[in-house]
Amino acid sequence: MNKYKATILVIEDEENICNFISTTLSAQNYRVVKAYTGVEGLSIITSHCPDMVLLDLGLPDMDGLEIIRQVRTWSPMPILVISARTQETEKVEALDLGADDYITKPFGTSELLARIRTAERHTNRLSSGVHSVYHAKDLVIDFTKHLIQVRGQETHLTQVEFKIVSLLAKNSGKVMTYDSIISSIWGPYADNNNRILRVNMANIRRKLEVNPAEPEYIMTEIGIGYRMIEDEG
Amino acid sequence: MEKQRLSLIGRRFLYNSIVTVGALSVATIISFYFHGVIYRSLNIALLYILAILVIGLLSSDYICGGVAALTSVILINYWFTYPFSKLDFSLSGYPMTFLVMLTLSLSISTIMIHLKEKTRILKEQEGQLIEAEKEKMRANLLRAVSHDLRTPLTSIIGAGNTYIENNSNLSEEEKLQLVSHILEDSNWLLEMVENLLSVTRIQNNAARVKKSLEPVEEVVSEAVFRLKKRHPDSSIKVTVPDEFLMIPMDAILIEQVIINLLENAIFHSQSTESIQCVVNYTDDQVSFHIIDYGVGIPEDRLDTIFDGSSYTQNLSSDSSKGMGIGLCICKTIIVAHNGTITARNHGRGAEFVFTLPREGEND
Repeated sequence: MNKYKATILVIEDEENICNFISTTLSAQNYRVVKAYTGVEGLSIITSHCPDMVLLDLGLPDMDGLEIIRQVRTWSPMPILVISARTQETEKVEALDLGADDYITKPFGTSELLARIRTAERHTNRLSSGVHSVYHAKDLVIDFTKHLIQVRGQETHLTQVEFKIVSLLAKNSGKVMTYDSIISSIWGPYADNNNRILRVNMANIRRKLEVNPAEPEYIMTEIGIGYRMIEDEG
Repeated sequence: MEKQRLSLIGRRFLYNSIVTVGALSVATIISFYFHGVIYRSLNIALLYILAILVIGLLSSDYICGGVAALTSVILINYWFTYPFSKLDFSLSGYPMTFLVMLTLSLSISTIMIHLKEKTRILKEQEGQLIEAEKEKMRANLLRAVSHDLRTPLTSIIGAGNTYIENNSNLSEEEKLQLVSHILEDSNWLLEMVENLLSVTRIQNNAARVKKSLEPVEEVVSEAVFRLKKRHPDSSIKVTVPDEFLMIPMDAILIEQVIINLLENAIFHSQSTESIQCVVNYTDDQVSFHIIDYGVGIPEDRLDTIFDGSSYTQNLSSDSSKGMGIGLCICKTIIVAHNGTITARNHGRGAEFVFTLPREGEND
């Protein structure tokens, strides 16, 4: 008897893509359920309760964003959005509606699997409580002691900079939109001009990275937000 | 539609009327002043001619000039020649004066309107010339694209066919090779399509892009990051200024330019030495330098390297990985940003430089 790692629902109208994803995931011992339309997808979500949803935003019968909206009213299950590169606004909208992450078409199998693992770990972390220490490569962040060490050296960050870094570290591996970072650092009524965030990020990079133009820890997703590399600890 | 046209005509009529009545009123008021202080009807006639000239300049119709000339003659006769406040065209010598004035006025307004017409036609012709130039660029691009798309597609279809039709005769190794060729060529296709898609972001309105303030270092680093994902063994050294720079741009497009230039260096420098990506700035612009240490650019191609056309004339054997389209698109993007892009040989290889204005940074 095969024991599956998790059940993943793939909502994608393009049959070839759907098949390729399903073959890849099955080979990795995931159980895959396919849906070619939004309506079908929604009914499978309620009937099968999958562990994760891969969602293409461009569906023939309904707006993919609507699915996120409906699922988020009752379930925190991870939703991974599949979309084209140039549709930044759509991605941001999906993330702000509660999608966990996105993957840009076309993507390789390794990228897809990495995103799925990140989303899985994230749900586990949420249920088991957040670690008090983040650790990746030469970077260690101690959330309770407010300490940051880079390459063995303690680094001093301002209050705001530390808040931004901890927020990203606690959500490591996941992209955080500009707006979601701004509202959790400066409050929901903050000016949504993201310049202040970008300036702070530039300062953070000058303190954490060897070369701020080739960041190792905090990646930029232009037009969308920032992503910190996955916690190794 | 019809309503809009009518309202346009109405507006023009209103405008012409205001211009005509206005200029004549001003001339009349000044004439009264002259008439009261010093009795000289010659000055008054000149004043009205001046008014007619102004009307001819500002209005957009022959009729205005004619009406103004006629009105002027009548007004002068009525108010400013003896007998005052009475029309009388029979005074000796005066009929001739008025006739000359009427002819003069009509000729002036005719010349004026004729001149305006000429300028309009000239402007139109100029516009058509620019349009033709654009059309030529588009045609060049299309020719290059169809070639560049067909080559990898042929190879993909061929490999796919071979795999299916000769499946039993192929060794595992050969199969793997076929599939990896398919992968390689589809990646190449993807790049091409992405380039073309980025052009559609500007095409809609010839030379305008949707700009927002973006940090230079983030755009450069993301471009390099994406390129390294595609070419994991390439070596690129990035240097950005310590100052935090934010300039207005469409980040996706500028990223595309950087990727195209870096990829161009990877494919054509024929060197394994690190490629340098350096950002500099002055008070009014930021410059991006992509420097390789390879064979350089053939001198005869330097002038036309961004045209896309040079590409079609040089369909050499290795042209399936030609960067004709890529560079042509770079130019389109940079020009749409009001920047400049140039290529040169620096002695030990090629250097591409593009600049972006810093204007509007504090918006």
